[in-house]
Amino acid sequence: MLDPRHILILAVLLGAVGLWLMLPRGGARGRAVGTVLGIVALGLWFSQSHGLGQWTADGMFFVLAAIAVVAAVGTVTSRNPVYCAIWFGLSLLGAAGLLLLVGAQFLAVATVLVYAGAILVMFLFVLMVAQPEGKASCDRMSWEAGISAAAGIAMVGVLSVAIGGVLAPSCPAMPPIVPPTQEELAAGVLDPHQVARLGGELFGRRLIAVEIAGTLLLAALVGAAVIVNQFSGRRHDGQSREQ
Amino acid sequence: MPPILESLLKIAVLIGGLMTAAAYLVLLERWIAAWVQDRLGPNRVGVPLTKIRLFGLGQPVADGGKFLTKGEFTPGHVDKILYFLAPMAIFVAAIAAFAVVPLGSVVLPASWGVGEPVRLAVAPGLDVGMLYIFAVGSVAVYGVVLGGWASNNKYSFFGAIRSSAQLISYELPLGLGILGVVLASGSLRLDNIIIEQARSGTWNALVQPLGFVVFCVAAFAEAGRLPFDLPEAEQELVGGYHTEYLGVKLMMYMVSEFLHMVLAAFLIVILFLGGWHFWGLTGSAEAVSWPVALLRAIVLLAKVMGAIFFFMLARWSWPRFRYDQLMEVAWKVMIPWGLINVVAVAAWMEYGVQLARPWNLSAAQGMAVVGWGVLLLCWLATTIIDPTASGNRPRRDLSANDNCLE
Repeated sequence: MLDPRHILILAVLLGAVGLWLMLPRGGARGRAVGTVLGIVALGLWFSQSHGLGQWTADGMFFVLAAIAVVAAVGTVTSRNPVYCAIWFGLSLLGAAGLLLLVGAQFLAVATVLVYAGAILVMFLFVLMVAQPEGKASCDRMSWEAGISAAAGIAMVGVLSVAIGGVLAPSCPAMPPIVPPTQEELAAGVLDPHQVARLGGELFGRRLIAVEIAGTLLLAALVGAAVIVNQFSGRRHDGQSREQ
Repeated sequence: MPPILESLLKIAVLIGGLMTAAAYLVLLERWIAAWVQDRLGPNRVGVPLTKIRLFGLGQPVADGGKFLTKGEFTPGHVDKILYFLAPMAIFVAAIAAFAVVPLGSVVLPASWGVGEPVRLAVAPGLDVGMLYIFAVGSVAVYGVVLGGWASNNKYSFFGAIRSSAQLISYELPLGLGILGVVLASGSLRLDNIIIEQARSGTWNALVQPLGFVVFCVAAFAEAGRLPFDLPEAEQELVGGYHTEYLGVKLMMYMVSEFLHMVLAAFLIVILFLGGWHFWGLTGSAEAVSWPVALLRAIVLLAKVMGAIFFFMLARWSWPRFRYDQLMEVAWKVMIPWGLINVVAVAAWMEYGVQLARPWNLSAAQGMAVVGWGVLLLCWLATTIIDPTASGNRPRRDLSANDNCLE
């Protein structure tokens, strides 16, 4: 029997290689091998995560987590940008499900509403309008595939080691995290007035940050309007010169 | 009863009820269309192989059978995966939204051994029910966009582009219309919103008429009903985003459209028309014995039927908007109105009591005076400024070049 920490490291390494093979790098070499390696890595990782919960009792957690992770991999490895967007949406739905599972109803619903409902639909809109005639090769390739795969998996590795105490209670990296009790949850995220408190916090203490974020978005909107007007103005000039 | 069994039972009843309702609402819509246009409508399909006609009540069964037995032909030029997934996305989203729609709650007889009152909703524990409906509704946009794109057909694609722009635009007035109600009742739960109206005895439509108008118009647009059915626009876009669909997948789109209308009717009734409350009939307690609960469900469903009837009559009462007019109504009229309503309600919640005291008005009366006053002012201002008029003037850049064609 291997040390749990070694299995985690193995999973992370396999995942890095698998992800690199799966990324669209111009040719179609080794995507199947990469997929198999990725599945093996995911299985190894989950096999060492019994600290997160029991397979049978917390089955919903593992299903949602697997959906979120697989969809996230699909987001970066798809060649068709529209499919990337769809995978991203699925990943968000998985993450929202995880939030719902721990009782953060408002966050879960807001994630779906803002990201999947508004931002991603906008992405799809642009992708569809921007590519009426097939896809350019630069859209279908992942630049710096090796570095991206290494960076992403390094992140997973760091997180795995950091919360190793949760993942595998037998490895002594950290004291295991105590989940909040029912009373604490009832006073926190499960409180019916949680949304009102969140609103009070956002528009009370953090008002300036919210306003700055809003102003930034407004500036982006004005910028987009200027760019659009620039083009239409040029067209009008051309017409008037012809006359 | 174990909770999982209770949930499954509720889901089964909900889906069965919704599917049957959607089928027979199609028949109702055809009857109403016939009535408006002074013709007979479908009145022949009854029991097969006999002469019993049953006023055409067999029509939905025949329609469903026809849809199901159509050949499952997939055009060769489509994106197979998304073509397959898009109708499912919209269908799932349309049904899932009903999970938080409350029909009231009931205390079962003690002999049944259920101590707690049973809430007649699939997901009664969701505190953010209103936002949940919004989130699920925004997922429904995917069905439209992806269906149109995956079909790989210009008409479908135009339909999808129009539709997604329309749905995204009208989500804003829809949300603004709801904000006033949420502010007034202080909760995002649909059953709390009903109880609040039942307790005060004033329906939100009576005290916030401006929000009611904005919400109704936006709900029409979100449901894609005439005069906002631009996504389909049979006469110009063949069939809109589902031009390339047939058989079961087309049926999924059709049923989803109907479910959107039913959901819009439910929301109009629950948020603005008092839900299950009716003066002198239903009381305002949170959980009641089953006869009263049944009465409440009947009142709620009767109101919903009334709203659906209004939807169906509106279909034959107004012509379709032109596309730029549709957008101008959303951005230049509905969103400002919604903002004004939110500001008026918020101001009333903050200063209303002090304002109402010298006039000797109750809170509800004062709110109603403010609400109707604001509606009148908005109406006058919009009529005078007429922000949508510019769309009907000839475009100068085009008229200058008119001679080129000759």
